[in-house]
This record gives sequence, structure tokens and C-alpha cells, in this order.
Amino acid sequence: MVNFMVQVDLKFRDKLAAMIGGEMHNLCYQCGACVGDCPAARYSDDFNPRLIMLKALLGLEDTLLCENSIIWNCTNCFTCYERCPQNVRPIEIIIALKNMLQKRGLNPQNVADILKNVETTGRTVLVNETVIKRRQELGLPPLQDMPVDEIAKLMRASEGDTDE
Amino acid sequence: MSEKKKAAPFFGCMISAKYPHFEAAVRYTLPRLGFELVDLDGFTCCPDPIYFQASDKLTWLSIAARNIAIAEEAGLDLMTCCSGCTSSLAETNFLLKNDDELRERVNKRLERVGKKFKGTIRVRHIATVLRDDIGYEQVAKSVVKPLAGLKVAFHYGCHLLKPREIMNVDDPQHPTLLEELVKAIGAEPISHRQRILCCGKSCLNEDLPPRMMKDILESVENESPDCLCLICPTCFDQYDMGQIKMKKIFDRKFEIPVVYYFQLLALAQGADAKIVGLQWHKIKPREFMEKINAIAGV
Repeated sequence: MVNFMVQVDLKFRDKLAAMIGGEMHNLCYQCGACVGDCPAARYSDDFNPRLIMLKALLGLEDTLLCENSIIWNCTNCFTCYERCPQNVRPIEIIIALKNMLQKRGLNPQNVADILKNVETTGRTVLVNETVIKRRQELGLPPLQDMPVDEIAKLMRASEGDTDE
Repeated sequence: MSEKKKAAPFFGCMISAKYPHFEAAVRYTLPRLGFELVDLDGFTCCPDPIYFQASDKLTWLSIAARNIAIAEEAGLDLMTCCSGCTSSLAETNFLLKNDDELRERVNKRLERVGKKFKGTIRVRHIATVLRDDIGYEQVAKSVVKPLAGLKVAFHYGCHLLKPREIMNVDDPQHPTLLEELVKAIGAEPISHRQRILCCGKSCLNEDLPPRMMKDILESVENESPDCLCLICPTCFDQYDMGQIKMKKIFDRKFEIPVVYYFQLLALAQGADAKIVGLQWHKIKPREFMEKINAIAGV
């Protein structure tokens, strides 16, 4: 449980607010509308979007931005986005927090794997012989090589781009 | 742009590089509905709405905006065939159309590749195109082999419907789109208790997704349909492969064939069963395959 005697870390909240989609966390009034229909909350004892928002409001950076962070239990279903009466869009706050995890090198391996696939091939799914053969059998056009040079250019952060 | 009845198809990674028979089904069915698919060069991954977005939202938006800009240059709407691609491209389109500052930041990046997001096209999931541009009636008219007697349960998936302000497709709590599409091909839509529950694919916890999927599969099984129909290759992956996992994790055997809607539509339009590609699915009980072959006249 959250200790209510903590001092609010406003510096963390400023950082979160500067992330794309992170600014709305300030409007959360802890009503819990995000919890009722959250499938991850329904199927687990420890995932609760309202508590994640509370931790963000209190600025409990270390409990949110750590290895194996609880935020990775989010199913990305957008139900909380639908329910929130304050337009906080908890899923967007969670995505902003994942972006912060990435900058600290704390995101799970899956993220690195997908980034590598897209960076090197332009695709998340790697092409194999079976698929090439099936496409031929089906009379589909062959898969083209993707413009990975353009992807590399777009993936490069530049000054003024970063939120933090 | 709907009066032109054409769009640029965006098949995405899962369909083009893992389930190409879904692409074949789309290419077979849409022209038979008087809808032209105009292939454009240069698309990349949408990119992935979960892991890629988790790394850096600005990069995610920029790569998605590059894909949208290609369609803008051709003056065509994008027609997505996967709910994940829809999520990435429709959200990007919505955010950049409505947020001037964000659009400027993304366009600054796009300058590096000589592209610009202008906000002149729409991104729409193919199921929406069927309803709004083609119409259920036209879909019904294209049927030469009605799937009479086939009981079809469906799974909507999250990203076709939510968030509603962006997707603008159907009521996320009480959707009817897939039911109507199933009716249009002469089959019987079968509802089930968990038809709008999330499949859990994007949750990284090892314990939650299998339990969510088990509940959905049990909910489907309770209604004894012939198959489970969906409109997203990622959902398909989750349920086709997933039933094998159910056996391993819970020692619970399910045998519910899973199909992409456009496979059924292709069959109803008289496609060769080989093109429809059910032979490449993991779950293909004999009884179901016999029914399908009888419809296809094999």
C-alpha cells in the first residue's frame, strides 16, 4: 500500500507532464472509474490503475520506474481511456511512464527485440521461407525490402525532440 | 473520399509476413464488392502500438505519420486490415490532426525523409469500410455460396472500437458491426458472454493472459458455434496458437476453429478453399473442415 505521509515529488510530476500524453495525470481525482472494467485489475491482485495514478500524483518515481514495473501488466485495452471522467486517459500515462522506463534502460527485452526488428527490417515479424513460398502459392506480390534507411533517420532523436 | 470507392490497403507485418492467406482473402473479396485496392510503395511497420510505442512515442508517431504521408501524397484513404495497425495509424492521424504543436514536432522529424503530415486522409479498418463504403446489402449481394447453417461466434478485440473518440466505429460496449457482417454472408451470428473482453495479448504478465483467454474460449465453447470469427491477425494468433497453450497450461482441450472474417467472405463469394488457407491453421477439427469443404464444393 501507499504510505500517505510521503512528500510529493513535484519534480517527477513535471517530468511526467512533459511527456507526450503525460500532462493529464494532474487532473486525476482518484475516483476509481478506471478500475471497474479494467481487465488487468480483474485478473490480478496487484494491478490497479487508480493506484498507479496515485503513485504518479505522489511522485513515487522509484515504485513506478523500476525493473519489472507493474505498469507492464496493462493490457492496452483502452477501457480506462473510455471511463475516465477527467480525460486523464490512464493508459496514456502508463505509455508515458514506459517511455521514461526506456530512457532509464529499464524496459523489458520485448521492447528491444521489436525495436531491433523494425530498425533492421522495417517489420516486427521476420520474413521466413515458408511465408515466401505461401505468398507465391497464393499468387501474392513478393514482399519488398523496406526503406530501413528512412526508419533509421526517423528513429534518431535530436535536440529539442526529447521530453525529459 | 468514400464516393470514389477505393483506398490504399495497409496489410501490416502480421498479415503480410505471417498470415498471407488473410491478404489473399482481402484481395479476393474487395474487388468483388466494387472496391478498388490501390497498392502504394514504401510502407513500413505501422509501427507496433505496444512495444514500439513503449520505447518512444515521438518516434512511434513519426514512423506512423510517414506511412500516412505516403497515402496523403496519393490522395487515398488508408484501409487497415489489422486492429493493431488501426490503433497506431488512426491514433497518429487523430493526434496530429488535432494537436498543432505535436504535428510540428513530428513534421520536423519527417523533414529528414522528405515527408510531411498534412492531415488530409482518413485511416479506417476494413470492417468499417465494408459497412460504410460498401454496405451490408452489397456484401450480401456478392455472395454466391451462402454460409447457411454456419454458426459464427465473434471476438471484437479492443483496438477496433476503443478509444471511441478516435475509432468512431461502433459502441464499444454494445457493438453490432461484426454480427451484421456475419449475417450478410448467410451465416448465423452467435453471441457469447465475453465477446468484448480483451484477449490479453498485450499484457506482459505471464499469468494473466492465459486466464483471460481461457475465460473467453469457455464463453465461446458454451454457445457451441462452428467457429470463432475475428478481424485482426493478432487476435487470430492469440486464439489459434493459444488453444494449444491452453492444453499445456491448464490441461484443458479446446477445439474452436478460428477464422479471419475475410476468409469466410471469400468462401461465400466462391473462392477456392486453397486460397482461403484454413489448412494452415493450427485448430482445424475434421467436422468443421468438412462443413467448409461442403460449402466450397470441394
